[in-house]
Amino acid sequence: MTFHNEAIDPEALPSLAAVPLTPVSPRLAPCQAILLLVRWLVVTAMVLLFPVRDEALALWQPWLAATAGGLGLISVALGWVEARRRAYGLREHDLIYRRGLLVRRTQVLPLVRLQHVESLSNPVERAFGLVRLACFTAGGRGADLVLEGLPAPRAEAVKQHLLARLSAAPPEPRQTEEAP
Amino acid sequence: MSEEGDSPAGAERVLADWQRLSPWAVGLMLVTAGLSLVRQHLPLLLAAVAGLTLVERIGWREVGGAAALLLLLGGALCLLYYRRFRFRLDGDVLVIQKGLFEHREFKVAARHVQHIAVHQPLYLRPFDVVQWQVETLAGEASRIELPGIRRGQSDALGRRLQADGPDSGRVEALSEGLAGEPDASAPPGSRVRYALTPGALMLHGLTSRSIYVIAAVLSPLVRPLERWLHDRLPQLDLLAWLPASPLVAVSLGLVAVLLVLAVLAVLAAWWRFHGYVLRDEGERQVQVSGLFHRQEQALSLARLQVVEWVQTGLGRLLGRGYLVCHQFGSLGGGADESRRFLVPGLTLNESERLIGELWPGGDRVPPLSRVSRLYWRVLWLRILLGLGAGVTVLILLVGVPPLPLWGWALLSAGLAGLAGVAAELRWRALGWGRRGDYLYVRQGLWGQRTSVFPLSHLISLTLRQSWLQRRRSLASLELQVANGRLTLPFLEASLARELADRLLASVEGATVESATRTFPETRRRSACAARR
Repeated sequence: MTFHNEAIDPEALPSLAAVPLTPVSPRLAPCQAILLLVRWLVVTAMVLLFPVRDEALALWQPWLAATAGGLGLISVALGWVEARRRAYGLREHDLIYRRGLLVRRTQVLPLVRLQHVESLSNPVERAFGLVRLACFTAGGRGADLVLEGLPAPRAEAVKQHLLARLSAAPPEPRQTEEAP
Repeated sequence: MSEEGDSPAGAERVLADWQRLSPWAVGLMLVTAGLSLVRQHLPLLLAAVAGLTLVERIGWREVGGAAALLLLLGGALCLLYYRRFRFRLDGDVLVIQKGLFEHREFKVAARHVQHIAVHQPLYLRPFDVVQWQVETLAGEASRIELPGIRRGQSDALGRRLQADGPDSGRVEALSEGLAGEPDASAPPGSRVRYALTPGALMLHGLTSRSIYVIAAVLSPLVRPLERWLHDRLPQLDLLAWLPASPLVAVSLGLVAVLLVLAVLAVLAAWWRFHGYVLRDEGERQVQVSGLFHRQEQALSLARLQVVEWVQTGLGRLLGRGYLVCHQFGSLGGGADESRRFLVPGLTLNESERLIGELWPGGDRVPPLSRVSRLYWRVLWLRILLGLGAGVTVLILLVGVPPLPLWGWALLSAGLAGLAGVAAELRWRALGWGRRGDYLYVRQGLWGQRTSVFPLSHLISLTLRQSWLQRRRSLASLELQVANGRLTLPFLEASLARELADRLLASVEGATVESATRTFPETRRRSACAARR
């Protein structure tokens, strides 16, 4: 086995920071807000309706529920702003997804690692015409990258592009199971 | 198998037709399925036995009858499973048909195979039968087992499936007998890369994590032992020769417990790694070990993703550690580590030599860089919060101790100091470095794990920046590799971006090269298949 170690000019490497990212659909913000609102309403209702035997503690129960509701409202507002800032980018060899408000995450998935793509949508997302794309790699136990907030036609186009790349790439190993 | 099937070429020809498991596999399946059921439902089983003892109408005869009935039922099901189970080699594709109530067919192509393991428990040695397992790139979840085939069939399968793997130009014949001595069983053309000496085996036992596992397993016995000693000690007249000082007696007791644990850990290592030999068979690396339960694992170098050099706290003191070779789909950390391709009882020099032999150039570990000092503060705060939460829970459970104000101040200072020491140790342990095409990441507290992998083996990456990090121009880089996530926290933002760019360029550049190399071969295979 021969060992090569050729020098690479770091300046010549394609820069991740220079990639122009495309914002996701603006409809993701209300969609996320509704989902968060439902979640926090459940939490607030549970805090309010939880049977408390202790009378002193029961006096505090509405206040605790109000605190949970307040936290929920803050969470919904932050979720709205965060959803407006999400963006994605598709380069020749990788897929980029940026999310997060206080903690900003930029995830990059080289397309060569892609094994299969799934499109998903819950009823709220369908009402807003949005689709999620879940990208899986070899050996992973779940989706490695979930691209949220794509309008259905755009999601289909991105999916077709990824599938075209998959079929163009050399076949990745996979275990097959068939009914006889 | 017939005489024709005994020769390597004959075995491969025979495998082209449908094969059944060895008849001894029925007994093996009964034993393994029974043990597995007992292990999984032990509390339920104990409760059932306890319940039966209370019912007076059920005596030993009824219990024996029920057991015999269960045994008969299990035997019949195993026999049916045996009849439904068949396999064959269709070119370079292993086809397996099985299923008790639902018929299933599996197809595993040779180019998808990443790991083959062969197990031979003591009770199967006289019959020359082995358990054969194959794992594809989908990871450990994809493991398929042939529960009991003849040794010759296992050798032929291994030879055929890994010979067709990628970059397998120098594959040699597989070993001829698991039960024999390692040197005698080595196939011609292979060479021994590493053999475990008895001293190294003992040190591995002492320094491996099994000592903690054994302590955890035996911990439920502490209370009965304490009760037994309390009842028996006065009658045994041991007090006459026990040291008068309680402190000395307790210290001696602790030393005795540690000695017992150490002996058990060495015995466990001896059981698992007796006669350990790592053989180089070109593209394949084969390891054989085990005292009674012999195991053989074959690793394809083309499928090797990450090599991890692991040292426990005691291992660092005694200068010993072990290497774990990770492929796709393995969990990170110590989870289920014993099932992986593990090279035990190594010194640092030996580990570097082995890494260099597996990956030329990978042995030259560069001086590792530390991350920003700000990370120490973050760690300190996290650990302090954890300790604070622990103390709060303790107070809620036990009650508020009657401490004066200076006592509380001393406790707080002690917790802060403890958190500071732990944060310092973690911060010092965390290091990373790049040399040539390889990245090195070290993590830990008392024990340390150093992951080594070629840049092109990255799966995906995430660049993470919190509000604080953005203000300080820092960023964390999360690298997803075959054995899980490696995090490089609090790097200079420009450095993190440059490293991310370089990693992506390596993955994508390597792929383009690989595609141009692999495509003609893939197309040729497809054309052949279409013609057939």
